[in-house]
Amino acid sequence: MRTKVLLLVLAVAALVAAPAVLSPGLVNASIQMLIAALFASAFSLLCGQAGMLSFGHSAYFGIGAFATIHAMNAFNGVGLLPTPLLPLMGGFMGLLSGIAAGWFATKRTGVYFSMITLALAELLHALAPHLKEVFGGEAGISAMRMPAWGFTFGSNVEVYYLTLFWVLLCLVLLYLYTLTPVGRLTLGLRENTHRLRFLGYNVHRLGVLVFAVSAMFSGVAGALQALNIEAANYVVLDMQLSASVVLNSYIGGVKVFLGPAIGAALMSFFGYAVSDLTRSWLLYQGVLFVLVMMFLPDGLVGEFAKRVREGRFGLGWERLSAGVLFVVALGFAIVGFVCMVELAQRFFSTDYRSMIVGTPWPPVTLFGREWLPFSAVTWGLPLGLMAVGLGLLNFASRRLDPERGGVS
Amino acid sequence: MSTPVLSLHGVRKSFGPIEIIRGIALDVVPGERHAVIGPNGAGKSTLFHLISGQLTPTAGEILLDGLPIGGMPPHLVNRQGLARSFQITNIFPGLSVFENLRLAVMRRFGLEFVFWRRASRLKAVTHLVDELLAQVRLEKRAGVLASELSYSEQRSLEIGMTLASDPKVILLDEPMAGMSHEETEYTVGLIREITKGRTLLIVEHDMDVVFSLSDRISVLVYGQIIATGTPAEIRGNLAVREAYLGEEAS
Repeated sequence: MRTKVLLLVLAVAALVAAPAVLSPGLVNASIQMLIAALFASAFSLLCGQAGMLSFGHSAYFGIGAFATIHAMNAFNGVGLLPTPLLPLMGGFMGLLSGIAAGWFATKRTGVYFSMITLALAELLHALAPHLKEVFGGEAGISAMRMPAWGFTFGSNVEVYYLTLFWVLLCLVLLYLYTLTPVGRLTLGLRENTHRLRFLGYNVHRLGVLVFAVSAMFSGVAGALQALNIEAANYVVLDMQLSASVVLNSYIGGVKVFLGPAIGAALMSFFGYAVSDLTRSWLLYQGVLFVLVMMFLPDGLVGEFAKRVREGRFGLGWERLSAGVLFVVALGFAIVGFVCMVELAQRFFSTDYRSMIVGTPWPPVTLFGREWLPFSAVTWGLPLGLMAVGLGLLNFASRRLDPERGGVS
Repeated sequence: MSTPVLSLHGVRKSFGPIEIIRGIALDVVPGERHAVIGPNGAGKSTLFHLISGQLTPTAGEILLDGLPIGGMPPHLVNRQGLARSFQITNIFPGLSVFENLRLAVMRRFGLEFVFWRRASRLKAVTHLVDELLAQVRLEKRAGVLASELSYSEQRSLEIGMTLASDPKVILLDEPMAGMSHEETEYTVGLIREITKGRTLLIVEHDMDVVFSLSDRISVLVYGQIIATGTPAEIRGNLAVREAYLGEEAS
C-alpha cells in the first residue's frame, strides 16, 4: 500500500517535471499520451468494470471535441467558459449524448450491445460530412485558444499543464467512482446482471448511468484534443479511434484501474516513435496486440499486478540469469522479425518494382547494408535470428515457470 | 388460518400452443415453510419464474400481501418483499463473498445511484453484511472470491443474498440440488435456522428434506396442484401416491 502511494507520487512528480527536460516534439507527444490515457480509462469504466464492450466510443470523444471547438468560437475564451474550463463543455455534451445512446444500447447485452454502439457511431460518422454547419465538412472547424487567467496558452508547455491537470482530475474522479456504492454495483453489472435484477436493482437505469459517465469522460478527452490542436475534423469519429481505444485498453489490462491508461500512453508513444521510422508500424501494433492477448491475457499492467500479488518476483542467481536470457532471446526474435518485415515491405513496394530493369534485380538498403532479393543471407539471417530467439525464449520461459520444472 | 401473504388465483402460463401452468390456486400463509413438489416437467420452475417476475402469466392473479405482482418486472417484485434463489447457482463469481452480500444489502438502504459516499464507510451496510455472514456461516470466507468457494458454500452464499433484502417471502429453487448427503444435512439445518419467523416457498426433489422441513406441501402435476396439506396428509393422499410418490419410491 505504502509503495503504491509512493510510486503514484513519484509518477505525478515526473509528469509535472517532464516539460522541463523534454523537447517540444516530445511535449506534444506527451499531451497525446495523456489524452489517450484518459480516453482509455473512460472507455474501460464501461468495458472493464461494467463488462460492456463498446465499439463506438469515438462518437463521444468526437462529440466532446466538436462541442469544445464550437464553444471556443462562441465564447472566444471569455465570459462563462474561459479556456481552462472548456473541457466542461466537452464533458457535458459527452454526458448528454451518452444518456441518449446508452438508453438504446444498454437495452441489450453482449454482442448486441457492441453492435448497437458500433451502429450509432457509424451513423454519426456517415452523417457528419453532410452536416457542414456542425462538423465543417472535409476541412473541419478550427478555433483559437484565447488567453485566460494570466496564461496565454500560446506554448505547448502551457497546454501540457492544462491537459495534465484535467487528466489527473478525471482519473482521480474515476478512481473515487469505483469506491462508491454505484461503483460497486458497476462490477455487479459485469459479473451477473441477471442476479442484480433479482436483488431489486433497475439494471437498465444503472447501465445507462455507467454508459453516460463513460461517455462524459470520453467527451472531456475529446475536448482536450480539440484544445490541443485547435481544430476538429469529422475523421475523429472514424472507426479507427474506436478500435484503437479497445486495443490500447486491453494491452494495458482492462481489469486493473491504471491498466488502460498506461496501455494507451505506451501505445500512443509507440505510434509516435515508430510511425516516423517505418511504414509498417500498424502491423507491429497489431502483432503486439495479438502477442499480449495470447501470452498476457490480463494485459501488461494486469499481469504485472497479478505477479506482484502472487509474490512471483523472488530473485536469485538462477532466476535472474533466466530472466536476462529471456530478454536477450526476445531481442533476437524481435530483430529477426523486424528485419523480415522491413525487407519484405521494401521488396514488395511499388518503388522497388519501378527500379527493376532486366536482371539481376537490384538490392535494397536496410540498416546500412545492401540486401539482394535472391540471396540466402537476405532471408536466412532474419529467419535464423528469429528461430534462435524463439528457441531460447522457449527455454528461458520454462526455466522461469515453476510449474514446468523451472526455478521459483 | 391467517390471511395468506402470497396467493395465486387461476394462474395460467402458455408457451405458444403449449400450456405449462394450467390454472393454479395457491395460498402461502405467513410464517410457514411451504414446499412445492412434483415430477420433472410439472412446471415447478415456471411457477417460480411467474411469481418472481421473470415470466408474465397468461392469465390469473398473483398477490403479495394483497398487492398484484403478476407481470411486474423482477426488480420491483423484489422491492415488494419477495426474494428468490436459483436452481443453478447465481452469484457474482468474480467478487468477494463480502462484496456479494454488500451488493445484496445496499438495495435495502436504497443505495443505488449514490456516487458521493464511500461504500466502505457505510456502517449500517457493513454491519448487516457481517450479520448475514454469520447467519450463513461464512464469516471466515468473507475475503475469498465467490468462484473459489465450494459448491455448498456457494449455495449458502446465495441463500444469504436472498435474505439480504429482509423479504416477506423467500423462494428457494432446489437449494439442495447436486449436494452430497452431508452437504444436504448441513444446508437443511441452515435453512431451518434462517427461515425462523419468515415465510418460505421451496421447490425440492429430495423427499426426506421436504417432509422434514415443511409445514405444508403442495403437489404440482402437469401444471395443476392436485393436493395441498401437511406432510402427513400428503403422505396419506391416494391421488398423490399414484401420481407421484409411487414413481419416486421405486
